[in-house]
Amino acid sequence: MIFKACLREAEVTELLHSGRWPAAGTPELVSHVHSCRRCNDLVLVKQAIYSLRVETISAARLDSPGLLLWRAQLRRRNAAFASVGRPLAGAQIFAMITFILVAVGLVASQAKHGIQWLQWFEEAPQMRAFHLETLWSFSFMRADWNLMILIPTLGVLAILSGVVLYLASEKQ
Amino acid sequence: MTWEYVIPNVETGAPSRASELPMDNDAFAAFYKRSARSLWAYLARVSGDPALADDFMQESYVRFLCASRPDEGEVASRRYLFGIATNLLRDHWRKPASTSIEELPEELFAEKDRAMQLDSHASLGRAMARMRPRDRQLLWLAHAEDYSHREIAEITGLGEASIRLLLFRARRKMAKLLRERPAEKAKRA
Repeated sequence: MIFKACLREAEVTELLHSGRWPAAGTPELVSHVHSCRRCNDLVLVKQAIYSLRVETISAARLDSPGLLLWRAQLRRRNAAFASVGRPLAGAQIFAMITFILVAVGLVASQAKHGIQWLQWFEEAPQMRAFHLETLWSFSFMRADWNLMILIPTLGVLAILSGVVLYLASEKQ
Repeated sequence: MTWEYVIPNVETGAPSRASELPMDNDAFAAFYKRSARSLWAYLARVSGDPALADDFMQESYVRFLCASRPDEGEVASRRYLFGIATNLLRDHWRKPASTSIEELPEELFAEKDRAMQLDSHASLGRAMARMRPRDRQLLWLAHAEDYSHREIAEITGLGEASIRLLLFRARRKMAKLLRERPAEKAKRA
C-alpha cells in the first residue's frame, strides 16, 4: 500500500469537519474527490462513521453524574486512608523484624554462655535490686542488672526505630 | 495529647479533605452532559460491546475525577477523558491472553459486535466490526470526534507520524469494506 499525500485533502477535511460538504465544495473540488482515491476514501469513511456516531450517541444510556461523583469521592477517601495506613504498617513490620533480630541475637549470645539468664531468674528474688531501698541508691548498677536494663532498652530501640521509619516513609 | 500531635501530618480531617474533587457538582454535571454520549459512542463502537461501554464509561469518569491534574479547560479535559477510556480498552484487550492488541484476531472482535450489528446501519456497523480495534479507535477519533493527528497521538500514546500512516491504512481498508457492501447486495439481487 503506497502512502501518497494529496494536496487537497486538508481542504476536503475542513469542509467535512464543518459539515459543509458537498454543498460548499466547488465543482472542481467535487470532481477532484471523484477522481482522487485518497480524498474519495476520506469522504466515504468520514460520512459513514459520522452517521454511525449520530445513531450510536442516541443509544447511550447515561447514569446520574451525582453517582459518579459519589464513587469518585469514595475512591479518593479510601486512597487517602490507605496512604495514611501504609507507613504505619511499614513501621510495624520494621519494629517486629528489629525485635525478632534483637531477641535472636540475645538468645544466641546467651546460649554461648550456657544460658546463664535462667540462673539469673532463679536468683532474682534474692537480689538486692528487688529490694525497695536499692531504688534510692546507685548500687544496683551491677552486672546482675545488665539484662534488666538491656531488654527494655532494646525494646524501646525497636519501637523508636519503627517510629523513625514511619516518619521517613510518611515524608515520602 | 493525641496521636495526631505525636505523628505529624496525620490529621483527622485529612481523608475527608482528600475526598474533595477537583470539579464541583455543577461543573461536573455540565461537563458530563456534554461529553458522556460521545464517550459512550466511542467505547461502544471500538469495543463492540455496549455493556462494556457502560462499565468503562463509569470507570473513565471516576478516574477522571480522582486524577490530580490542573484545569486546562474543557477541550483538554475531554481529551484526557478519552485517553483514560483508551487505556481501559487497551488493558481490557490485553487481559485475556496477555497479547498485544495487534496480535488479536479480527474475528474475536467481529463476534463481539453482534449486538451492535442490530442497528439500522447494520452494514456500516459490520464494516466497522471487521476492522482491527486499533484501526477502529483511530478512525473513530479522527472522523467521529474530529481530533487532529496530534490529539490522537496524545490520546492513544502513539507517535504522530505513525498516526498518519495507520489512519491512512485504516481508512483505505474501511473504504474497501464499504465499497464491497453495495457490490455484495447487487450480487445477492
